[in-house]
Amino acid sequence: MKRPLIASLALISALVMNGCSASAPNPNPSATDSVQQKDSLVLYSGRAEELIQPLIDMFEEETGITTEVRYAGSAELAAQILEEGQNSPADVFFSQDAGALGAISKAGLFAAVQDDLTSLVASDYVARDKTWVGVSGRVRTLVYNPTKVVNVPNTVFDLAKPEWKGRIAIAPTNASFQAFVTAMRIVSGDDATTQWLEAMKTNAIVYEKNGAILDAVEAGQVDAGLINHYYWFAKAKEVGVAKMASKLTAFEGNDLGNLVNVAGVGIVNDNTASRAFVKFLLSEKAQRYFVDVTAEYPLIAGIDVVEGITPLSELNIPDIDLSDLDTLDKTLELIRAAGLI
Amino acid sequence: MRKPPPILKALGITAAIAAVIPLGYLLFRLGEGIDKALVELLRPRTLELLFNTTLLVVSVTLTALVIGFLQAWLTTRTNLGFGALFAVLATLPLAIPSYVMAFSFTATFPSISGFWPSWLVMSLATSPYVFLVVSAALVRTDTSSEEVARTLGLTKWQVLRRVTWPQVRPAATAASLLVALYTLSEFGAIAILRFDTFTRAIYNAYRLSFDRTAAAALAVVLVMITLLVIWFERRYRGDYLSVSAASQKRVRISLGKARPLAIVSLIALAILGAGVPLYSLVNWSIVGSSTADITQILEALWGSLSLAAMAGALITVFALAIALWVVRYKTKLGTFVELSVWANHALPAIVVALALIFVGANLVPWVYQTTALLLFAYLILFLPNALSTMATPIAQVPRSLEDVANSLGVKGNRSIFKVVLPIAAPGILAGAALVALTVLKELPATLLLRPTGTETLAVRLWSSTEELAFAQAAPYALLLVVLGGLPALALNRQARKALSEVRN
Repeated sequence: MKRPLIASLALISALVMNGCSASAPNPNPSATDSVQQKDSLVLYSGRAEELIQPLIDMFEEETGITTEVRYAGSAELAAQILEEGQNSPADVFFSQDAGALGAISKAGLFAAVQDDLTSLVASDYVARDKTWVGVSGRVRTLVYNPTKVVNVPNTVFDLAKPEWKGRIAIAPTNASFQAFVTAMRIVSGDDATTQWLEAMKTNAIVYEKNGAILDAVEAGQVDAGLINHYYWFAKAKEVGVAKMASKLTAFEGNDLGNLVNVAGVGIVNDNTASRAFVKFLLSEKAQRYFVDVTAEYPLIAGIDVVEGITPLSELNIPDIDLSDLDTLDKTLELIRAAGLI
Repeated sequence: MRKPPPILKALGITAAIAAVIPLGYLLFRLGEGIDKALVELLRPRTLELLFNTTLLVVSVTLTALVIGFLQAWLTTRTNLGFGALFAVLATLPLAIPSYVMAFSFTATFPSISGFWPSWLVMSLATSPYVFLVVSAALVRTDTSSEEVARTLGLTKWQVLRRVTWPQVRPAATAASLLVALYTLSEFGAIAILRFDTFTRAIYNAYRLSFDRTAAAALAVVLVMITLLVIWFERRYRGDYLSVSAASQKRVRISLGKARPLAIVSLIALAILGAGVPLYSLVNWSIVGSSTADITQILEALWGSLSLAAMAGALITVFALAIALWVVRYKTKLGTFVELSVWANHALPAIVVALALIFVGANLVPWVYQTTALLLFAYLILFLPNALSTMATPIAQVPRSLEDVANSLGVKGNRSIFKVVLPIAAPGILAGAALVALTVLKELPATLLLRPTGTETLAVRLWSSTEELAFAQAAPYALLLVVLGGLPALALNRQARKALSEVRN
């Protein structure tokens, strides 16, 4: 009975020590020789079970690594890992968006992903310190009702014009929307962003989620909305493409409205199993799976996108490094100041 | 004055210690960045949140009180007719998680958002708490004084206000406290309907900016508001009146010309509180093409049932101990224990969950992500729900009965088991059912603390809607409503049975 007591005392002191040196430096990414051997994996997944489980089955079959998955929202799991700190049971965190990965990276709780894996993905979609890597991409896009919107806007800034009053839907609490606003701040500056957000306060109808926006546009309650492209394809799968009343359109040029976001992974406990899993996610098989099932963009070279989607290479996407989108506090402040959340 | 049995004290103090964990965690997080916390709080936004939160809590509490009280009074005391049916309809919203209710309202009336819909949904979702507690109290109270008042020439309204209300006031106030704190802590419905309250700000601090210090600062304010609310409740509750054991024939009050109006109002409430959500759920299953897997449904059903049963039993034991200690012994320590249990009841579930994650993962890893820790979280979250339901029936057992038992040779505290508990049993069971029902609907803490792989109906419902697979979500939501309807019906039956016994 004494052991738990001693263990807990050790943990308390570890905790206190950890509290003193808040962000411990990441383990050296090149230290591959001393990595811990492990034949089971604990995955925290912010992506849905229906999507991930078939992939896990493939992974288990291929590698023989038994995998236990904990499903919840990406933000909740990030908060969970932050609380767990150094004692997190998670080996890998699979997040729906880069923001949640960035929060853990900032707290120094991710080990760096090996170079031979990060090099598979364009550097825009990898953390600058290599602590997380993108797995699949999605594009911000405009969903609109063709009977109500005749001339689609050229740029996302057009939506600030008075003619859009009450016609555009946004989801300001959504991570993808916030990443887009951060990008706008970086490219166009805080003043222009504030102006745009204030125009949104007048013009936009606010929703909690991308899915709700799509539903509203489909039902004809609002003319258009800013969402991620794959929501449309998910809905089309559920109700049938023929029944979709709305359409998607990209903005012209390298408009900010076409920002690419990623879902990605970070390694919480560096061991052979977590490395194998990241490697698997960046394999051709897994990348093709995401393309086929969710209509997302593959992030490694040589994989075709599904029908009806413009390939990433042909899209006019703004030149933004996702690692630069880590000034969320300032973004939230502007969104809040505009009265949108 | 007798002394409370040690077991009551032990259970009560354990519960108080459990309740202090989230508060301790908050202070720890605050201590990490007190300057940052002050900056977060000293913004105009805090005032705005304070105003919004107060507005919502006060309006919802008053509305739920009026709706619940009138439903209870109309169904138990008047010649309304269809009393049983209306009683069932009044409890039905209890079975519908408030986030499902909010979702169904936005699905049916897409353009709504802000204060009014939040007020409506929260009032509909919480009025059953008042209805259940007040109808139970009305059935148990003495009607002879009402009849005396009437023969003395008081109008129906005057009797209601001057004679009936004081008798159920402690029960109604306790239920109102529950409603107020429920509203303070609600996140799901408020987020869907987009009204900015403290709880929503706390969730956003965790989920959007991953700022635990800011979240803690806001949560501490929420705790202070809670203490204020509790203080108000204590001040205005009034004394519990014990019931005379002899019951007598009741005369139902004639509503006269107001009867059709009463019936129409109750039907309208039922349509809003149960009709709209059920319509919306059925709609989900028709529109979509996704299907739910039967083994997954059964797995989730088992997960929900077993967790609700275990949590219901565990929480009942603790609630009984504290209720007995506070109500029948009236010691200072007991009152303090009760207060500490209530103090964090307005904390959003995510705060309690994260506190237990922090403590669990770092200090007691062997219980982390086990059912035990999840049950512990439920205990912290829902003990007050059980307390509020059980305190009234326990208080209403006349002390004289215990004295009689003592004089007949039942020794000291054993009269609790021989007299108090048997008489209060229906009320205690009602409390247990209510807690099981609440656990059934719980989502945020379950999601974060459950053992990996444990599924519940609420978790499945969440993951399906997250993927926009509404047809797949529908069976989980419907099962949740049906399952939640069972305790609600049982609560109703009890009230009606008591009523018919009295009348025959």
